Amino acid sequence: MKLAYYPGCVAQESGRELDLATRFVCRELGIELVEFPNFSCCGSGFVDEANEVLNVAINARNLSIAERAGLDVLTICSTCQGMLTLANVRLKDPRVKGRVDGALRPLGIEYRGTVTVKHLLRVLTQDIGLAALKAKVRRPLAGLRVGAFYGCHLLRPADEMGSESGEEPHAFEDLLAALGATPVYYRGRVMCCGFPIQFVKPETASRVGGRQILDAQAHGAHAMATPCPLCHLSLDAYQNRAAKAVDHPLDMPVFHLPQVVGLALGATPEQLGLARHLVSTDSALAHLAPGSQPPSAAARTG
Amino acid sequence: MAEATVRVPLEVYRFDGADGRPARYQKFELDLAPHTPVLTALLKLRAEVDPTLSLRYSCRSAICGSCSMQINSKSRLACETPVGPEVERHGRIVIEPMRNQPVLRDLVVDQARFWTEYQKVEPHLKLDPRHPMPEGQPNPMSPEEVDRFKETPRCIACAACFSACPAVEADAGFPGPMALAKLYRYVVDPRDRATEARLVRIQTEGLWLCLRCHLCTEACPKDVRPSERIRDLKELAIAAQGATEAGSRHAVGFKENIRRTGILNEMQLVRQTHGVTGMVREIPQGVRIWRKKPEILKRPHPIAGADEVEKIYEALDRTEPPA
Repeated sequence: MKLAYYPGCVAQESGRELDLATRFVCRELGIELVEFPNFSCCGSGFVDEANEVLNVAINARNLSIAERAGLDVLTICSTCQGMLTLANVRLKDPRVKGRVDGALRPLGIEYRGTVTVKHLLRVLTQDIGLAALKAKVRRPLAGLRVGAFYGCHLLRPADEMGSESGEEPHAFEDLLAALGATPVYYRGRVMCCGFPIQFVKPETASRVGGRQILDAQAHGAHAMATPCPLCHLSLDAYQNRAAKAVDHPLDMPVFHLPQVVGLALGATPEQLGLARHLVSTDSALAHLAPGSQPPSAAARTG
Repeated sequence: MAEATVRVPLEVYRFDGADGRPARYQKFELDLAPHTPVLTALLKLRAEVDPTLSLRYSCRSAICGSCSMQINSKSRLACETPVGPEVERHGRIVIEPMRNQPVLRDLVVDQARFWTEYQKVEPHLKLDPRHPMPEGQPNPMSPEEVDRFKETPRCIACAACFSACPAVEADAGFPGPMALAKLYRYVVDPRDRATEARLVRIQTEGLWLCLRCHLCTEACPKDVRPSERIRDLKELAIAAQGATEAGSRHAVGFKENIRRTGILNEMQLVRQTHGVTGMVREIPQGVRIWRKKPEILKRPHPIAGADEVEKIYEALDRTEPPA
């Protein structure tokens, strides 16, 4: 399988561990990542707030790059997935398409609308398939209770994003079960992490994120896992603020989606960049059955 | 021929503010045809099992907006949610009052905040007193003008969006999805003469607290799509007033951030939104993050073809960058 790899800004900057883990997982599963140094930022929802048509246009440009290469796009961020998909949706409106084409044409860019935008979660669960993935699992995540945390833009609006359900998805939980982990169902799994207003009103943003972590904790999760690096920032890098905002101690390791997959496929913590998290993942790894400990972690404790 | 029935286990939230007892869930089982609305099931319980069950309802036809409640954690109208798919998916139906509004009794909530927020956006046409509409004369709008707010008049004020909203839950200063969608309707109405004042006011009264999680759009039974109307309001507010609040500064700052390089500069964004003093406030958190992720201080390389992005901006973006 060959896909145009759209890492998004965060995975190239503060969330490099996500890029590392993605490359590991794709290598193991035979997914060829074709890289394009001319992909731009997706606008992260903020450009959409400031100028809807501009946001569609910069993403039409991104999609045209993959289209010229005859590839579908692989995203590893719920927000990138949402914004690139939204461009495909909005371009069906002839008024929007006219303005976007008018801006792209002088640059020699044409986007015909043929590219499908696929998040890694979809590639793993639908294109690779859970049975094939399961066959590759070397260290099942037995003993680990994981609360999936989807990220809004992967799911909603469901009719535009083409998601299984805007409020009751189960692809991520199915994936976790295939990896041998125990998925934890909790209300917060489809809620907001607070990130979009982290810069607007940090206390409120942190309260929103903190509530979801508390919810996962109350349902017995040893760790959370997210397909979105912006949720990861909120839940991991800002977890100290979240704890303050909900007035409750929090110590919740948060994995990126390809990190949990990578662990099950036999990666070392170094290969997944686990040391880059602000909340240590050691307490989660300690829950793994002895045979499932990642290689270097086993060497450390043994 | 009658449809085969299914066994429907119901767990209904019971609470009476007057009796001092803690809330509890009462379990029932009914045999119902799968297409039976949850509201019909509740009315059957009340008629045949427990006459003390309190709930709001009226039309039973998804028009009055009275019977919103949480059905297996989703904010829905009980009259148009069939029992079958819920039982199939969850094995039971947990019925709880709407969220974000204090419970008075069982499934009945106090809607004071919801209606107060609605009133605060002044949901009526504001005309210019110096130029009153001529009596008995039509005040026509073009089909295109009406098209701009075609979704919002469908709203039945059921408050499902208010119940589903995490910003309402986390911040008393957020007006809620319906109030903002209604405000949008008057902002784009060409007959309204208070557009600019409305936009200026809402920028400081909660507009930018929307998390754009789109939970309201999922919950809305009439496809008003409040989250998309809120997005529209944000763009209109920036166009009318520029980036004056933290929220609009962040949106415009982000837009400007990628204009020339095509890629986000995380550190620069913090400065654009918070200003220099705000950035100083962020230093302790920044240091914590930098220790684990030292590259946050590095300036990212511009993408190949950054000039194309800049030209797209020149063609489509006329809003002012923040001062």
